[in-house]
Amino acid sequence: MLVGWVMAMCGLLAQAPVLAQSVATESSLNAWLLRVHQAARQSVYTGTFVVSSSGGMASARIWHVCDGTEQLERVESLSGTPRAIFRNNDQVVTFFPQSRIAVAEVRESLGLFPNLLKSNDSAIGNFYQLKALGNERIAGFDADVFQLVPKDQLRYGYRVWNEKRTGLIIQLQTLDLNGRVLEQSAFSELQLGAVINVAKLSRSGNTDGYRVVRPDLQKTTAEAQGWTLQRAVDGFKPMGCYQRGAVVQSGSEGSAQSTMQWVFSDGVATVSLFVEAFDARRHAREGATDMGGATRTLTRRIDNWWATAVGEVPLVTLSAFTQALERKK
Amino acid sequence: MEKLNSIPREQVSDLVDDHLADDVCAQAFEAILGDGEALQTWHTYQVIGDVLRSAELAPTRSDLAFWERLQCKLEDEPARPVVKEVEEFPSVDTSLASANASVFRWKMAAGVASFAFVGVVGMSLWAQSDQFRGTQMAAQAVVAPSAPVALVAADTSSGTMLRDARLDELMAAHRQLGGHSALQVPAGFMRNATYEGPAR
Repeated sequence: MLVGWVMAMCGLLAQAPVLAQSVATESSLNAWLLRVHQAARQSVYTGTFVVSSSGGMASARIWHVCDGTEQLERVESLSGTPRAIFRNNDQVVTFFPQSRIAVAEVRESLGLFPNLLKSNDSAIGNFYQLKALGNERIAGFDADVFQLVPKDQLRYGYRVWNEKRTGLIIQLQTLDLNGRVLEQSAFSELQLGAVINVAKLSRSGNTDGYRVVRPDLQKTTAEAQGWTLQRAVDGFKPMGCYQRGAVVQSGSEGSAQSTMQWVFSDGVATVSLFVEAFDARRHAREGATDMGGATRTLTRRIDNWWATAVGEVPLVTLSAFTQALERKK
Repeated sequence: MEKLNSIPREQVSDLVDDHLADDVCAQAFEAILGDGEALQTWHTYQVIGDVLRSAELAPTRSDLAFWERLQCKLEDEPARPVVKEVEEFPSVDTSLASANASVFRWKMAAGVASFAFVGVVGMSLWAQSDQFRGTQMAAQAVVAPSAPVALVAADTSSGTMLRDARLDELMAAHRQLGGHSALQVPAGFMRNATYEGPAR
């Protein structure tokens, strides 16, 4: 059955409308974002995806099929630890063939869009401006090039290459405040409308022979954890708060302390605010750490607590978060 | 005397400070006498101890006077010009590629090359037999934590970076839950899936 709709989608792709060349208003920004999203949901493709930054380079082989509601995707690493990630909508399983471990989790964030845009409090247009930059040829495809230009210095810019017919993002650059590329994600090779063996792809999500591990992750609220932000950071809204148990501290050296992860987003960039009990043995260095790439980290001690802000945003934004963080109890 | 690293530096320090039990002390002396580097370390620690304990070698009046003069000089120095913060967001000429864009084109070429090289792995990786079954706990959700503080310097094109295993774990956790972005599908998810934290 899936094979049928995969082939049907290949036909639909050929009839996809052509993207407008010039967009500037908030409504056209939202329309562009929706089209980008729809393209991802309705395109069938396979290709090689490369993420590169000053911190290094990683590549993966991607298979993606969908029918508008059902998404099947497989991402197989070509660098680093051998692993394969299988996604069925928001259900994600990461397979590690060497250790025969499969990590099964639900990525709620994958289901949020496009509701994120449709809600009344959507404010992406308040903080980013969309500019059309023309056309370019990427990975053998004609692409429309757009730039999401931040309106303040609290967020990075993005340069996006949309495949002309479908709107699928085939290259994405994260730009710092001076317009320099911090990180690039791109297809180095792409087959749009490829015929993919869906049955085989579906079977690749089978965890037989693997020990299935589920992250120790509990939903909570910052208030319940005793934390608040004295001042909101412009444009960033809380998206969820979680308590992590052994997820990131599971070894013999780790403490049994749980870690709070409070997630914020401005609709494009995301910041995680981690708070854990201060441990002089492990927490020696406050401040920023350059880990390479677009993701920045900033650590600050708050009395008996250790707060770490992580996000694809400038340091000043992370600083605004850690400075605003306040213990309520 | 050629034997090196026969004794931890901490133990040499404890020996100098007379913090070792008698039996351990004897063993430590024996180790030091048979290890040229350890002997040198022991001597260095003795000198440091002498300096710390010696009134003669403590900061002298002339040293203190020098520091006072330096302090006065520094205060007399004109204040460094404060770089005015840019009021408006810098207008980057968006019609041009970024100055460092070519670097990423080369990296992309490297990515293609690496794919050509390892492409034969393909789905076969998926069907790997249990022969590779090992003890590696590679999952991001079960990343083993590091030693108390593990900082590793790594040279990159943008200078020296610091690698902190705990931060790597938090970045992995951020990638796991931090995809609240309009660009999340497909680019964000694939980016996070493709990216491998150094801790894994």
